Amino acid sequence: MISISQVTKAYRGAPRSALDDVSLEIDKGEFVFLVGASGSGKSSLMRMILREDLPTAGSIHVLGENLVGIPNRRVPHFRRKLGVVFQDFRLLPNKTAAQNVAFSLEVIGKSAGFISEAVPDVLRLVGLEDKANSLPSELSGGEQQRIALARAIVNKPAILLADEPTGNLDPATSEGIMALLERINLTGTTIVMATHDRGIVDRGRKRVIELSLGKVIRDERGSGYGLER
Amino acid sequence: MRFSFVFSEMGIAIKRNLSMIISVILVTFISLTFVGTAGLMQQQIGSMKTYWYDKAQVAVYLCTKTSPKDICPQGEASKDVQKTVKLRLKSNTLEPYIDKYYFENHAKAYKTFQKEFKDNAVAKYVTPAQLNETFWINLKDPNKAPIIIESFSGLSGIEEVKDQRSYLDQIFSMLNIASLAAISIAGLMLFSAVLLISTTIRLSAVMRRREIGIMRLVGASNFYIQLPFILEGVVAGVIGSLLAGGAIFALVQFFVQGFLAQQLPFTSFVGIPDALALLPGLVLVGAGLAAIAAASSIRRYLRV
Repeated sequence: MISISQVTKAYRGAPRSALDDVSLEIDKGEFVFLVGASGSGKSSLMRMILREDLPTAGSIHVLGENLVGIPNRRVPHFRRKLGVVFQDFRLLPNKTAAQNVAFSLEVIGKSAGFISEAVPDVLRLVGLEDKANSLPSELSGGEQQRIALARAIVNKPAILLADEPTGNLDPATSEGIMALLERINLTGTTIVMATHDRGIVDRGRKRVIELSLGKVIRDERGSGYGLER
Repeated sequence: MRFSFVFSEMGIAIKRNLSMIISVILVTFISLTFVGTAGLMQQQIGSMKTYWYDKAQVAVYLCTKTSPKDICPQGEASKDVQKTVKLRLKSNTLEPYIDKYYFENHAKAYKTFQKEFKDNAVAKYVTPAQLNETFWINLKDPNKAPIIIESFSGLSGIEEVKDQRSYLDQIFSMLNIASLAAISIAGLMLFSAVLLISTTIRLSAVMRRREIGIMRLVGASNFYIQLPFILEGVVAGVIGSLLAGGAIFALVQFFVQGFLAQQLPFTSFVGIPDALALLPGLVLVGAGLAAIAAASSIRRYLRV
């Protein structure tokens, strides 16, 4: 599903590589925590999987696409098979919750009929069907992240990338988001979640990939945030 | 492809960016008005040229008593001079070039003069003897005038051989310069219109960078992302060119037909049909330039 082989990424002017000879495989339906200090290369890795950036060396295959060789015009179609959420939610402030979700379907040309069915369904899934007409400013952080999640999964992606999705949320709200991610994972969606949240990783007992200075230093199933920390 | 969505996005962009859009419309409007005016002027010059060149004759002026002594030392041209000119005009060398010619004696020249300068004080003082007797020659091809001039210049008893087109050429070259000036101004303004459109579209993209970011993440195609911006530029360009079309219609209707044509009744002027023929071109230029400027600036701003 995701196959990363000997990937190195060097940014111009940076003293060391952001990623240094990273290789890993993630299978369909897996839930993977990506952990490591700031600057360890988590975000670089996520950007590569999303094909927002290209590696300096090595190869990346995601959902059968060779991301190093894929022509630019095919990138949008590739991204439709992925969902993404971020720490800062990235909702459009002048659109309601439902419109924010609908927007992501409108821009890929889905029909009005499809949108009018899919949006209420996904809002129900994230537990916010009664907030459909609220603006993001009227929602709490946790609710905003649920809307962002609804937007990410409304097109039924095979992979969901979550870049510190609980970074701005209190522990109780984070648990709620985590429970939602697990439910999404149970439907068969592969989830790659970069996080600093020790509690969530420790309780999750999932596969943990730890990066440090651009290298994979640990890749364990059913593990915690870090044994010695 | 959902056009309603693309158009609503474009509407939102135009509303947010209204003052810039208005400036694009105005610059396009003014520059295309210049382009259209220059185009009509060229047409006018062209039609006047064919009309007047056809009428232009070569005049062979014979000496009079009052001609300058250095050119006509023997004074009034004799009947022999008239015969010589006639013979040459009928000769094998010149005849093939000549459509027709006629001779105007003092009496006829005086009559014509009195008619043309009816209201002028000079008409009272001129006597028939002062006016040249003239051979008026119409050529089959007006461009061959130098042949006639060559063969009569220096002949004794002839004061001057004049191609009337030389008067017309001065007028036309002035009109040409005016229309070239209009085209240069139009070119400069179109260039600034293109720059303004690029800036406007980029500004619009900056204002909507959140939307663009999300569109890219969820896999909207580049075409879909760019289309509202390109349409935004095209709408402004089309409105500007339609306004320019309106201004040119008004110019033709009220100034050319309403004023010039009344003042100079025997000249054919450009009319509404000419302006109408120009309109699609103006709209095409306005829309095309806007589309190219918008597309190239948005493409540079948006990379996958």
